[in-house]
Amino acid sequence: MSQLTNSSKITTDLLPQKFGTGGRIWTGILVVLCLVGLYGYYRQVTVGLVVTNMRDYASWGIYISNFVFFVAISLVGSLITAIFRLASVEWRTPLTRIAEIIAVSAILFASIIIIVDMGRPERFTHLFLYGRLQSPIMWDVIVITTYLTISVLFLYFPLLPDLPILIKNSKDGSVRQKFYKFIGSFWKGTAAQFRISENALRIISVMIIPVALAIHTVTSWLFATTYRPGWDSTNFGAYFVSGAFLVGAGGVVVAMYVFRKAYKFEAYITEKHFDNMSKIVVLLALVYLYFNINEYLVPAFKMKKAEEHHLRSLFVGDFARLFWTAIVMSMIVPIVVLLFPKGRKPFPAFVMGLFVVVGAWFKRYLIVTPTMLSPFLPMYDVPDSYKQYFPSWEEWAITTGSLAGTLLIITIFTRLFPIIPIHETIEEMEHIKHEKV
Amino acid sequence: MKHKYSIGRIATVLCLMAFLAQAQDKAKKGTITIGLAYHQLNNDLPVIKVSAKTRKNKKFQPVERVVINLFFNDETSQGFMGRVETNSNGAASLSLPVRFKAQFDSLFSFKFIGTLIQNDSFEDQSTELEISKAKVELNLEDIDSVRMIHAKVLAFQDTGWVAQPETEIKLVVRRLMSDLAATEEETFTTDKNGEASAEFSLSIPGDVQGNVTIGAKIDDHETYGSLVSTKTTKWGVPLDPDNSFAKTFAKRSLWATRDKTPLWLLIFPNLIIVTVWGIIFYLIFQISRIKKLGRTNDTV
Repeated sequence: MSQLTNSSKITTDLLPQKFGTGGRIWTGILVVLCLVGLYGYYRQVTVGLVVTNMRDYASWGIYISNFVFFVAISLVGSLITAIFRLASVEWRTPLTRIAEIIAVSAILFASIIIIVDMGRPERFTHLFLYGRLQSPIMWDVIVITTYLTISVLFLYFPLLPDLPILIKNSKDGSVRQKFYKFIGSFWKGTAAQFRISENALRIISVMIIPVALAIHTVTSWLFATTYRPGWDSTNFGAYFVSGAFLVGAGGVVVAMYVFRKAYKFEAYITEKHFDNMSKIVVLLALVYLYFNINEYLVPAFKMKKAEEHHLRSLFVGDFARLFWTAIVMSMIVPIVVLLFPKGRKPFPAFVMGLFVVVGAWFKRYLIVTPTMLSPFLPMYDVPDSYKQYFPSWEEWAITTGSLAGTLLIITIFTRLFPIIPIHETIEEMEHIKHEKV
Repeated sequence: MKHKYSIGRIATVLCLMAFLAQAQDKAKKGTITIGLAYHQLNNDLPVIKVSAKTRKNKKFQPVERVVINLFFNDETSQGFMGRVETNSNGAASLSLPVRFKAQFDSLFSFKFIGTLIQNDSFEDQSTELEISKAKVELNLEDIDSVRMIHAKVLAFQDTGWVAQPETEIKLVVRRLMSDLAATEEETFTTDKNGEASAEFSLSIPGDVQGNVTIGAKIDDHETYGSLVSTKTTKWGVPLDPDNSFAKTFAKRSLWATRDKTPLWLLIFPNLIIVTVWGIIFYLIFQISRIKKLGRTNDTV
């Protein structure tokens, strides 16, 4: 960090860069995936939900598991930006914007994917016009809207000091400069403006934590308030929140590695950051593992008749391979690998982060689908297609498209704005310099 | 010459093969059994019920989605009643169209024809059902609290409507899912006047006014088909409607409509929503303050 004393060097390093060949290919792939997803959705809207493989029993499928995944990963915004800010964790600076843009894009697609799951999407507004507060789905709608708004504000306020730098360093009269001016030409960096901004950030940091906890707790209640095997648990809120923090932290580690490699941020996102984040991942994986043991061991010990089918399908049945892979992949392996200093180096930490994120996605699938296929009353006199569920190509296309859409938002954001805050980094360097003097 | 001969042989073989394939295709077609049944309610125009089944693995199974043409008396365009398609239970039905009413009223007996033609899976098939026109007259009597059901079976003949003795008839109360025997005995046989009578002594719930529907019916008779005659009378016990469900929904509860949300669920979440969104609007207001300060700075 000592070499980073020159503010103009920091500015040059951190300004958004044009995409190279790799960046263009990456963006192209994401756009294609989004278009395929849009086509899948076009088919679903024109033909109907019958194009999915969801039927009477598995009426919640891959869309809902994807929704839970998005809500989970969005919690990272509150972990890195808010909790670290309140705890005065100094090394957080290069990670805050990464975490916040992941949060905003994920929660945005969580809202979109829930509309995708609707049979009559044009009636979406009815949720606001005729919503019943008695319904947990209504609570989710309220909390997601609130969290999305707060997250956008949390992204916007720290961005303000960087906007004059971006205006200055963009081509005069260009569309991009006009856009920067539109959103932040009023920022002059006066003491009064900083005071207001700092105050607002403190308020958001405090407020976003309960809202973030609420968003995932309420999401868990969508399941827990329903009397079904595997969901009928008082533990579900804490179980979901702990899993969300884990996948969020894993997602940040992956993003850190990708940005570090793509934009040569080695001087800013250092091995120290990977080491610290890896330790956090271990802690969160241990907490999530603890909740998993609670969720599965206790019902398995009792093995109530009504729950037996569900538990057996997970432990030794149709979902066993996926279940054990998800547990080992997203918790046990990362805990073991990241416990060792060598495992906390950037590349192994990145691989473990990937394990956590991919495992977490499948874990959400395992929370939703096996329960739907284990009703309390046995399935009787129903077509065979009702007794199992595997997503149709339209469902896969839409889901992949939504994941690609999240990454596309992050990619476009990175092209427009510095993914590591420039002003904050310069200020931090100045502070270190003063301390040394 | 030899060459010509071989082309001729090949053509013959090909023709033979095509013929055999066609014959084989024909041979592959299954046999279908079409059933027709005659149903008449309250002397209205009758309904023809069609059933289609086939024998598979030594069992009769319903055949769905076969189209059957129905004719009245003649298998001609004049006698064409309509076309029906069987459902998953192999059943379909069609009312006799009104244009046949005059013809139907004047005839003593008639026939219905059901045909299946040009089907890919089944051979052509035709079935006939002959019916002699009959009717059931139903009368209900309530004298000194003695409730009597009188039914009379009549057949349409040269001399007009003639009473039909020795015909089996059922006296029933029509309920939602099926018919309930209105008397202790299940079936009656009409006397020499074509009549059957029985006392109604059931105590069963009717609608809110005590209305029940009494019926006299001939079930699947080989000459007359199925005939039902019904009348509604206040012989049932008036129903005291169970409003407890509506009462429950009228109260504030978790399962009531949105205007009946429990107060605690209205107060606390709304309090939280107002507080959080109040802060959000305050933060948005802070942006406008920052904006104002920036503009002031510009002018200075």
